[in-house]
Amino acid sequence: MNTEKTKKPISDTNKGNDVILRTRGLSKDFGKLRAVDNLNIEIRRGDVFGFLGPNGAGKSTTVGMILNLVSPTSGSVELFGRELTENPWAALRRIGAVIESPAFYPYLSGWDNLEALTRSIGNIPRSKITEVLQRVNLLDRAKDKYGHYSMGMKQRLGIASTLLPDPELIILDEPTNGLDPAGMKEIRDLIPQIAQENGAVMLCSHLLHEVEMVCTRVAIIKQGVTLANSSIKELTNQGQYLKIRVEERIKAKSILSIVPWIKSISEEKGYLVVGAPLDKAAQLNRTLAEQGVFASELVSENSSLENIFLQLTGGKSDD
Amino acid sequence: MIKLISSELFKLRKRGLTWILLYIMIGVMVLINLITYAISNISLPNQPPGSGLDVQSIISLSSSIPFTLSMLASFEAVMAVILMASTVGNEYNWRTIRVALVSCEGRMKFLASKIISVIILVVIGMVISLVVGFIMSLITNSLAGNALNFDFITGTYLWNHFLQFWRTLFIIMPFILMGLLFAVVGRSAMPGIGIGIGILFLEPIITSLMQNAGGWVADIPKYLFSANVDAISALSNVSSSMFGGSSTQVTSVPQAFLVLGSYMVVFITMAFYLFKKRDVTV
Repeated sequence: MNTEKTKKPISDTNKGNDVILRTRGLSKDFGKLRAVDNLNIEIRRGDVFGFLGPNGAGKSTTVGMILNLVSPTSGSVELFGRELTENPWAALRRIGAVIESPAFYPYLSGWDNLEALTRSIGNIPRSKITEVLQRVNLLDRAKDKYGHYSMGMKQRLGIASTLLPDPELIILDEPTNGLDPAGMKEIRDLIPQIAQENGAVMLCSHLLHEVEMVCTRVAIIKQGVTLANSSIKELTNQGQYLKIRVEERIKAKSILSIVPWIKSISEEKGYLVVGAPLDKAAQLNRTLAEQGVFASELVSENSSLENIFLQLTGGKSDD
Repeated sequence: MIKLISSELFKLRKRGLTWILLYIMIGVMVLINLITYAISNISLPNQPPGSGLDVQSIISLSSSIPFTLSMLASFEAVMAVILMASTVGNEYNWRTIRVALVSCEGRMKFLASKIISVIILVVIGMVISLVVGFIMSLITNSLAGNALNFDFITGTYLWNHFLQFWRTLFIIMPFILMGLLFAVVGRSAMPGIGIGIGILFLEPIITSLMQNAGGWVADIPKYLFSANVDAISALSNVSSSMFGGSSTQVTSVPQAFLVLGSYMVVFITMAFYLFKKRDVTV
């Protein structure tokens, strides 16, 4: 059982001025269902921003609102310092996105799909198509029909398409889905490079291990509500916990429940699991001892992003 | 806008469906000309003047263009509805709509570029069909042993048929825009194709029943498609009544233009409104 002491989202303390994307109180209702609720996120230049949440959490709706495909019920999206509604095309011109999964015309080849895109965007030389296809290792299969591509090749073409207009923000939804381990590593290596060269990457993924490896900052949402929004380091630091074995667990819980720096208390396999910074272990032990409760075992552990995600979201999808 | 039309034409040019529709159109033209020629060789005894099909006049070289335009009013409309509805609807079916909208200057321009591209292809299809029709007429007249006389090609003839060409496009347009509207409403190609073609074929039957019913019901067809299409088609020398259309003209030409034009305005306004307003969540 988990005793949450606070419902406030874990907030970001690293403020910067070079903001590419900012949402303010972004909300979306579909009938009676609130898909996104008061979302406030910022993506700054150089960020690889992980956007996490269980299925149905509101990630795709949020991306839809950022890309002007879905109109917000309330709140606003600011891209490159200007409201999206002011001049959507001027902002969208600077974004590359693969939404949910790559989608291209099945009867066209990979090359022709990119050519159709360059024609509609405009002012992109054809040499750029060669360049981006080379970058994702798809040039040798460029003339094959998209309908005959494997899932991994479709993902590569999706990433190539986002690079065409030299975007300053790239939004990727599950970019390693369907790739073999080597392909996954290639894309993992490519994402920070793209952020470095272009501006920022927003990565929507369920692969938390992958997000932990490539992202600098992360937001976690569930049922449209932001549960966490901070740097990976801050988040994993705040996800530190201490496991204590004591005889009088009920008494220990009541003592610890009034300690201000303890975020959560739960029981697991005879241990009390206390959400607290690792450097507070001695203080915690002293607090219990002063009240006549003595720990027979005290173990400090760091939460992985996966643990934090499961802890925050309750480990269930929103479907 | 030009770049969006260029992109749309590129996609349509590379699409197999576009070529299949064109080959079907050419095939239909060839087949109809051959069938008409075959019928013209069959003697129809005891036929009173003015009744049935005046096949001999249809296969004459001077009738080939109005004859082909009359055929286009129905057959090309079917092809055009399929092309329009699939061009818009398949964007939803293939989920390419989101990428397409993010990579273009706006939803209105995107939809407008689709309509313009389809109209360009329809016009090209009509021109090709006219050429095929004329060549087939040359062939059938040669087979029939008729002298190939081009004296009918005068300025007036060309002008009249130039106007009829655009009138034919005008009577196809409501069906194209209906296909567009229902593809947008249903977010798929099938509603556009199904409803567009369904109305194209069923409405003349329903109209005919209404005309026979008499009373105020007989006036309803004046505000539907087929009676107005017939009124405009009748401006060519070859009436659509030869091909199963209504033989009774129930509406005037100006009213026909007004009614069909009104349908076009309603269809295109609704399609643009829905396309702009609705969230793209597929």
